[in-house]
Amino acid sequence: MDLVQLQRQLVDYRTSLYHEGFLDEQFTQLQSLQDENNPDFVVEVVSLFFEDSERLLNELSKALEQQVIDFKRMDAQVHQLKGSSSSIGAHRVQKLCIVFRNYCEAQNVEGCLKCLQQVKHEYGIIKTKLESMFQLEQQILNAGGSIPV
Amino acid sequence: MELMKSENIVQDRQPQPQEEEEIMQQEEEEEQRFHVLAVDDSVIDRKLLEKLLKASSYQVTCVESGEKALEYLGLLHHSSPASSSSSQHHHQGHKVNLIMTDFSMPGTSGYDLLKRIKGSSWKDVPVVVMSSENVPSRISMCLEGGAEEFMLKPLQLSDLHKIQAHLLKSLPHS
Repeated sequence: MDLVQLQRQLVDYRTSLYHEGFLDEQFTQLQSLQDENNPDFVVEVVSLFFEDSERLLNELSKALEQQVIDFKRMDAQVHQLKGSSSSIGAHRVQKLCIVFRNYCEAQNVEGCLKCLQQVKHEYGIIKTKLESMFQLEQQILNAGGSIPV
Repeated sequence: MELMKSENIVQDRQPQPQEEEEIMQQEEEEEQRFHVLAVDDSVIDRKLLEKLLKASSYQVTCVESGEKALEYLGLLHHSSPASSSSSQHHHQGHKVNLIMTDFSMPGTSGYDLLKRIKGSSWKDVPVVVMSSENVPSRISMCLEGGAEEFMLKPLQLSDLHKIQAHLLKSLPHS
């Protein structure tokens, strides 16, 4: 595939992520902060998000396996996940966290279990999509082109 | 201890006279820039905030907790620090022009930090409290507690003009 085709593919892919509600305006903000002094800024922040989210999702899974469930601690963890997903513009994950917190507050185990599965699912999707997008960007750079805004 | 400084001059050897001059110039330039102490337990939000502030040419120090912030300000083990008048707004030779803190943090919360700062020799340094939640009672509590501004997360570049206003206000009057 030639450079122009790659660039077009990236723009279409990115646009679809916004249209389908995977990303919101905050992701655009992140991109606007990236410059020549910090060319990997977005990748760095998103990588931090991946690490942080996986840690939190593991802890939430463990929390729900306990004999006595610590809903307060779980709520704090979901709050963290909600915050970080909001900060990078991971729209669907953020929205699910709001629902998840309601179940924590209501101390509803079934609700929490269901939510956790949904959050894990949505997180998996956005992770795959962002990684695909970064790969496309790298292909463009390798071909000597620049990333279209 | 996680303490990120945007600028850090490390000298392991004796600097040559020319280098000394360059270093002094650099330090002078740093002193002229506003220095913001940013407090947030989220590693992602710290990185974002640091970038936002540096993009506006501020010098930034990020800490991960209220306790670390108090430690940085020399307030950790004293109710009123025995600081000399010349070091009132200085830490390790660096001034602090603005403190930005997240509200919800484990341990010492942003509100706790705000109250400690306002009850100390740092009370004239403007404090901005940030939160991802838009809770009116929380906002008024912080403003009544002495916060200059309450800002909703995630912060954007366009929010920084509010910060600039507070920083300019804090300049000494001639």
